[in-house]
Amino acid sequence: MKKTGAAFFLLTILFLSVLVSIMFGGSRLGFEQVIYGLTHPYAQDSLSAIIWRIRLPRILLGMIIGMGLSSSGCVFQGMLRNPLADPYTLGVSGGAAFGVAIAIIFDFIKTSFLFVPLFAFAGALASMMIVYAVSARKGFSTHTLILTGVIIGFLFSSMVLLLYAVSNPAKVQHAIIWLMGDLSGADSGLIKWTAAYVAAGIIFMLAFTRELDILTMGDEKAAQLGVRVDFTKKALFTAASFVTAVCVASAGVIGFVGLIVPHFMRHVYGPNHKFLIVSSAISGAIFLILCDAAARTVMAPVELPVGVITGFIGGIIFLVYLVRSAKHEVF
Amino acid sequence: MITLEAASLHCSYEDKEVLSGLSFTVEEGEFVGIIGPNGAGKTTLFRAITRVLKPRQGKIYYRGIDIEEYRGLERDIAAMSQFMDEPFSFSVEDFVMMGRFPHVKRFGEPGQKDLDVVNEALEITDTLAVRSRKVNELSGGEKQRVYLAQALAQAPKLLLLDEPTAHLDIGHQIEVMDLIQKLNKERNITVLAVLHDLNIASEYCSKLALLDEGRIKISGTPSEVLTYQNIEQVYKTVVVVKDNPLSSKPFVIPVSKNYR
Repeated sequence: MKKTGAAFFLLTILFLSVLVSIMFGGSRLGFEQVIYGLTHPYAQDSLSAIIWRIRLPRILLGMIIGMGLSSSGCVFQGMLRNPLADPYTLGVSGGAAFGVAIAIIFDFIKTSFLFVPLFAFAGALASMMIVYAVSARKGFSTHTLILTGVIIGFLFSSMVLLLYAVSNPAKVQHAIIWLMGDLSGADSGLIKWTAAYVAAGIIFMLAFTRELDILTMGDEKAAQLGVRVDFTKKALFTAASFVTAVCVASAGVIGFVGLIVPHFMRHVYGPNHKFLIVSSAISGAIFLILCDAAARTVMAPVELPVGVITGFIGGIIFLVYLVRSAKHEVF
Repeated sequence: MITLEAASLHCSYEDKEVLSGLSFTVEEGEFVGIIGPNGAGKTTLFRAITRVLKPRQGKIYYRGIDIEEYRGLERDIAAMSQFMDEPFSFSVEDFVMMGRFPHVKRFGEPGQKDLDVVNEALEITDTLAVRSRKVNELSGGEKQRVYLAQALAQAPKLLLLDEPTAHLDIGHQIEVMDLIQKLNKERNITVLAVLHDLNIASEYCSKLALLDEGRIKISGTPSEVLTYQNIEQVYKTVVVVKDNPLSSKPFVIPVSKNYR
């Protein structure tokens, strides 16, 4: 099968990207060192420590976040038939960030990292519902939805900043870095929970890929084919918001991943959502860990938040794309 | 046997009543055309039958069962509406396979039977040659046939069509209508089509229902319905009705102001 070959190809790139990412960081490692370190996980030296305690957890978290953001972006874009839809443009990450900010300010974050995704999810759902309600009044046109999303996202971000402005600066220093999108908080607990939540969300999305395909023909046709349109949309919006919330809770607001990656996958592999979600997930992982490798390297020894890099690369790529696609084409 | 029955249907958008007490029946195997001027409620009726719009009053029955309560209606009824978003760059094959949705289980993969049905649908609509092309790159006529193929993949007993020949030139109109007629005759699929073109309706339908202001003005064979009196009254224009020399079905000729 063509798709199997493509998946294998993407996985190979992912594997190579992991190796490359291990090489880059505060101190540069050679390829042999990486291989040696990887094959000797229990060696008591600094090489093994860097690889197994610092870089690999961060890479792992980056992979999970990249998968989560890309697959939810994929779902949002498909449902809304709009290449500009993604967790950020819909205001979902803004809401999630607000939830997390509350958790940070009120110190729930120390209680358990189980709480934080919950707060994020509440924030994400709240913003999704507001966006939904506002644009429903306007008959649900895609443009209204996006515009509303951007505005709501902006409002939530402002509230986050307001929260930060009025709280203890010591507490906020870390939170501001987090807000820009940062993978440095990776530890085994965080990775485990993030992976579990994101995987559950993606599996849920995969169960609805045929509905997603059909929904691209419009609600009316979907209903005629027996798709329960309202239920399906709500379920998918909730799932995608949940995955976004988990990603935001673990790594902050990392922009453009959910927008760029599915968009390009759609160009390369076509619009079938089953493979689109799978390929977007793998490519999202690749994209994010390479961006994070760059974030650790460009200003070394200062590590940039990865959100700065994704915003930069994503913004430029998207701008070029917009300029080059002269006609108003959707997907 | 009565396939579809509408009983004193009232439908409205907000306060505006579009259908006011409309009733009709479609017998199994019939090819029924719904005609009428703009705003008479043709598309509203179509939307009510396809369950997109809920009637304010009245019921629609499929084989004697209220369609609101009929489970798995989508395995029996396929619809091709005017209001379908331009599909993305799905291949024709994948696009037609979407018609199998009602027949495939959630976590199931389309099986050999589904592939066979899709192949057959492509064959009968003469779209095998474009099966790997992208739907959004097809010509208008090809697209319409591919949409029909998708509806066929649903393996329907009743086919609902909303202006299947809209935006097509006369050659493609005939091509699509011939195909629908073939499905009606050879597959014994009951057809209910909203049609704009009176002559096309006359030529292909076994029964016509003329809609006027949310009610059925008259229904019957084309010769019974398409009289100049009926048309002039409903469409508020002057026409001459003659018989088609080959099929002896009525055909409607418009009369311009100069000759009135």
